[in-house]
Amino acid sequence: MSASRPLYAPFALNPEGRAHLIVTSLPAAPEGLEDSLANIEVWTVKHGGQGVPLPVIDGVRSWRSTTELLAQLGHRLGREAAGLRLYAIGSEAFVWDAYKTAIGAGLHPSEISLHRSGAFVRRVYCTHCRSIIEDVPANVVQCPTCEAHLFVRDHFSRRLAAFMGVKVDAEIPGEIPEPEVFTS
Amino acid sequence: MNLILKSLETYRDDYTFSNSDDAILRFPFPFPDDNYMYAVNMEPHVRGGPSKAYDAVFDIDEHYIGDMNDRALVLDQDPLRCQVLPHMAQAEWDALELIMDNLATDFPEHFTLTKDGDAWHWVNKPLGIDQKFIFGRSETLPCGPFEFITRQAQGDFSLQDQRDNTLYMDGGMVTSQADWSLNFDVGMAFHEWHGPVPLAHESGVFDRALQYLLRLQCGKPVRRLNWTMTANPRLDTSPENYPLWGPEKAAINAETVGHQLCLRVELQTLYRLPRSNAILFCIRGYLIRLEELARVEKWAVRMHRVIRDLHPKIAEYKGLVRYRELVVNYFAPFDDGRALNSGTSSEQDNI
Amino acid sequence: MKLKLTAIEALTPGISKFTLAPLEGTKLPPAGAGSHIVLEIPGPARMWKNAYSITSASDAPVYEIIVRRVEKSRGGSAWLHNHAKAGDVLEVHSPQNLFAPVRLAKRHLLLSAGIGITPFLSYLKLPDLAYELHHCCKPEDESAFAALLPKGANVTIHTSRHTLDVEALLKRQKLDTHVSVCGPESFMDMVLATTAHVGWPRLKLHKESFGGATGGAPFSAVLKRSGVILQVGPEESLLDALEAANFSPPCLCRGGACGECKITVLEGTPDHHDHYLSDVEKAAGNAIMICVSRAKTSELVLDF
Repeated sequence: MSASRPLYAPFALNPEGRAHLIVTSLPAAPEGLEDSLANIEVWTVKHGGQGVPLPVIDGVRSWRSTTELLAQLGHRLGREAAGLRLYAIGSEAFVWDAYKTAIGAGLHPSEISLHRSGAFVRRVYCTHCRSIIEDVPANVVQCPTCEAHLFVRDHFSRRLAAFMGVKVDAEIPGEIPEPEVFTS
Repeated sequence: MNLILKSLETYRDDYTFSNSDDAILRFPFPFPDDNYMYAVNMEPHVRGGPSKAYDAVFDIDEHYIGDMNDRALVLDQDPLRCQVLPHMAQAEWDALELIMDNLATDFPEHFTLTKDGDAWHWVNKPLGIDQKFIFGRSETLPCGPFEFITRQAQGDFSLQDQRDNTLYMDGGMVTSQADWSLNFDVGMAFHEWHGPVPLAHESGVFDRALQYLLRLQCGKPVRRLNWTMTANPRLDTSPENYPLWGPEKAAINAETVGHQLCLRVELQTLYRLPRSNAILFCIRGYLIRLEELARVEKWAVRMHRVIRDLHPKIAEYKGLVRYRELVVNYFAPFDDGRALNSGTSSEQDNI
Repeated sequence: MKLKLTAIEALTPGISKFTLAPLEGTKLPPAGAGSHIVLEIPGPARMWKNAYSITSASDAPVYEIIVRRVEKSRGGSAWLHNHAKAGDVLEVHSPQNLFAPVRLAKRHLLLSAGIGITPFLSYLKLPDLAYELHHCCKPEDESAFAALLPKGANVTIHTSRHTLDVEALLKRQKLDTHVSVCGPESFMDMVLATTAHVGWPRLKLHKESFGGATGGAPFSAVLKRSGVILQVGPEESLLDALEAANFSPPCLCRGGACGECKITVLEGTPDHHDHYLSDVEKAAGNAIMICVSRAKTSELVLDF
């Protein structure tokens, strides 16, 4: 993490770990793991299934939503022993939700690595009405709850897993700048 | 110390706040030189300094009642301005002890603390509080110990846990902040909550400050000054309420700048707490209208030079862009180009 | 502050407990679990300054410390064992804490050997700490150490290194546990190596350095700025030698951990015994922690 805006490294197994749990919001495991001798487990998310639990295929567990995955993750980490390393791959919002779950189970940040993939969209916290806005693509967004136009600061809270949004036209109401699309 | 407290002043709506002559002369002016740049600038926090504001460990001034009333109003509307994470329970008691001991020592005419083992009796005359409680048992207080005592001390406070070779802001009472959110920042590490500050990261100021604070010792507190400007003497300039105070910034013009624009100085003090090993960080804010400041000649001249030559990135971060020129023009008539002494004291006995 | 030695109790032939009380009308500052105090001990030729963990509870009316007589002592512990008596008044620095338990950890695995148990004795007096303590000692010392434990303490004493299986202990810990270790260098090295072996994250392991080897070959220290040349004897540290020569270099923990006493080395090769400098900094050889480190060359030139 650089100052307050998270930075992400490419996915790689941590050689200090004795067992590795990879959780991803994508439907497929990351590439290149087949050749690894390490003790690896992978969890993915596959939508659909008509309400029926998904089978384990080739050692990969699939959950039906990120909500289900995260609940199972908390439960699993509470029963795990030392030496595990956790990896979260997916949208920025998902990886930080996984991070929060892991910290709540007592993991140290050095046991967790986060890898963001997909579109450059941000989860935003409206400082005024306290609501969360998902998938924000640019640095100005209107809060759907309190209707304030927010400037999305580069300031990130791990606890809220969101960026800070503050009213952009507080000083001169109506003076709203052109949004700039996020490129990172 | 013979401190006369004003009765209720307001920091919102009609803004009845003003500084008496005494309050002006004791103001902790932040600029020792004609230019300003970030520095670690920490020094031992001892009783005594360039003005009377430094005489007490936790300074109480004539604005005490108005300040504490404003805090109560903010908390009423937004209870999340005071939060303490559960593992900081011991630090809460450490902080309560430190603040109560020092208020009673420095202002015995207003506060008394008597102890019979763990049975403590605290009296706060100005606020009409008479509280008996058992030290260490929070069920004997009307609210958490940190909230209880910080509702009675001027300035914002944060509780910082030391671990992983850094500090984590794991609690706070933040009702008079210069544009940062406790609810957003609580739980952040040192470099994270300082993230938004420009320039300072590159020069390594934060790394050095952190190393210094990690070795802070019990009984050897430190202090430093920080500053910004506020439109109207408003204490609650939180991001949460930016829609309320934002428009007031735009209303500052050449006619109103002297009366409405204020210099806001934070006397920041840091204390190592004995049982929890946490750090208590006090951000004691002082407001002064520019027209009050101008009554001290040295300060008027210095303000002209500092604001005129301020690095643009700093001006931007401190939210001064909108009225920088107004401030420079306001103080320009005072500046005859003479050499000024280094140091922040007023060099005047009266106004 | 000045404190009075009110009691001295021999626990074993080489280990004694000392009780320090405030003088009439003064109050003792509370000391959080893991704190230590530095005692100024009068020796025949000079003043020794030794750090000792406080074993008593945070708000106890006295400080209790436990001192082992070190064979190759720099002098302080020998004076305490041989010359100190009840009623003596000593100059003591206020408590500092470089080994506080991590508040965020839900559970603590505490590992100690010999005199290394002392900081953990204050941990055990916290009302709400979830812990298990494993302590190694010589068989003849077992009952003395057992007598120091509070009633109902969750402690296993191992009188043989073989019954302490650190690897097995670590492997059965849940992920919300932090490990703290204190004892001689060899014990701590063993624990450190075992944690690395099982993949225990470095930042969930906390260690208190307890002096260890403080003596070594004598060497000269040239103080570039003042022009003074000091001879550092085999039983004293570079910090001791500077203080004996009436210099007051910044220092804090006196145990090579905090970084306060770092001095730049201009010439010569330092012999690092500290826990503060990184491997890169140690290899570069242009800084030294004067409280514990010595010299590989016969002379060091210091920027002091």
